[in-house]
Amino acid sequence: MSIITMVRKILVLSVLAMALAAPSTYAQTAPASAVDPASIQALKDMGAFLQTLKRFRVSTELTGERVLTDGQKLQHTATADMDVERPNKIRALMHSARSERELVYDGKTVTLYAPAQKYYSTVEFTDTIGKLIERLEERYGVELPLADLFLWGTPAASVDKIESGMNAGQDFVGDDLCDHYAFRQAKADWQIWITTGSRPRPRKVVITSRTDEARPQSISLIEWNLKPSFKDTVFNFTPPKGASRIEIVPVKTK
Amino acid sequence: MMRPFGKLLPASLAALVLTSFSIAPDADAAAARGGGGGGARAAGGGGGARAGGGGGARQSAQVDNSRADTRTNNVRSTSVNNVNNVNVDRDVNVNVEGHGGCCGGWDNDYHPVAAAAAVGSAIAVTSAVVGSMVRSVPPNCVPVNYGGMVYQQCGSTWYQPQGSQYVVVNPPY
Repeated sequence: MSIITMVRKILVLSVLAMALAAPSTYAQTAPASAVDPASIQALKDMGAFLQTLKRFRVSTELTGERVLTDGQKLQHTATADMDVERPNKIRALMHSARSERELVYDGKTVTLYAPAQKYYSTVEFTDTIGKLIERLEERYGVELPLADLFLWGTPAASVDKIESGMNAGQDFVGDDLCDHYAFRQAKADWQIWITTGSRPRPRKVVITSRTDEARPQSISLIEWNLKPSFKDTVFNFTPPKGASRIEIVPVKTK
Repeated sequence: MMRPFGKLLPASLAALVLTSFSIAPDADAAAARGGGGGGARAAGGGGGARAGGGGGARQSAQVDNSRADTRTNNVRSTSVNNVNNVNVDRDVNVNVEGHGGCCGGWDNDYHPVAAAAAVGSAIAVTSAVVGSMVRSVPPNCVPVNYGGMVYQQCGSTWYQPQGSQYVVVNPPY
């Protein structure tokens, strides 16, 4: 090897070494706060958009987990289809392998119906869907699918609880290009995939519980129809033939 | 928590026979369902794209859980905490501990049949075995909706519908 080539080699090597050492100066600066403001803004924008939707159909397929006493986890799936008219009409059909249920709210009464047993329970209520969610939860321990959808963009979805938030890049959910965000708050880590473009909708949500060391998780895939064809009558519950009304018992509270 | 439950099995099985509910023995029940069970969803068409669809086809096949291991019901109470949404803090208002199994998520109709410590030896002797499956409930039962799920209360025994059958559960409240 000639001196010249050797010198050239050394030069190249040292340039390389410099290049390798350089990234520290050019590396992205760590955010001052664990909560990336742009990620919070993305949540707010999505919430604001959701609140503009007056009439829509939304469907979800949820994969959930339950933890057995020894820490082993079992997965299950459930699906729901919801017809919605803000502020105060909703019909939700919920399916799992074990049960099929309907929740119908016309702005005056809420009905829970179990088609297989033909039992229904009716409760008077007049307020928004958001308030209905709270009430059903508090008084009856009944959860509406995708409850967050109706709370984002309202004071009930406080971003103050979020301790960490970051942009996790982009990803496809189905054919939809989405921005992927990851958040941490008291009891949960959660991720959301928001469709890119002018109509930011949650397309996928993953929530991981931190209250159990087995970290049970739910994964919800969400499909939207912003121009639904359902009629207003879907929000009225008429007891089918042979159906009977049963009592609904409030949950015991602390 | 599971040990006492296991020991009580023989005694309470006898009680079950005496009360003459139709227990669904594994093989029998499976045959009756006509092999519908496994993979029912795939047959239903429409896998994947859920939008617009709505139930329909899948309802023809009934789920049969009679062969499921009883251990699948041993859900620990901490996991009853809901993980389906981030904006509703159900723990604030609802006492999910100490009750049989109220208030899993909307998807969670798994009543933790063996989790409640309150169910001691006394109950198993007098009523049906918690976790056992039956095809029908006694005529004196009263249906009630609790936590969004329909139960049948028959004296001190509670049943929860599962597909076309019923599972004996701890009292939900």
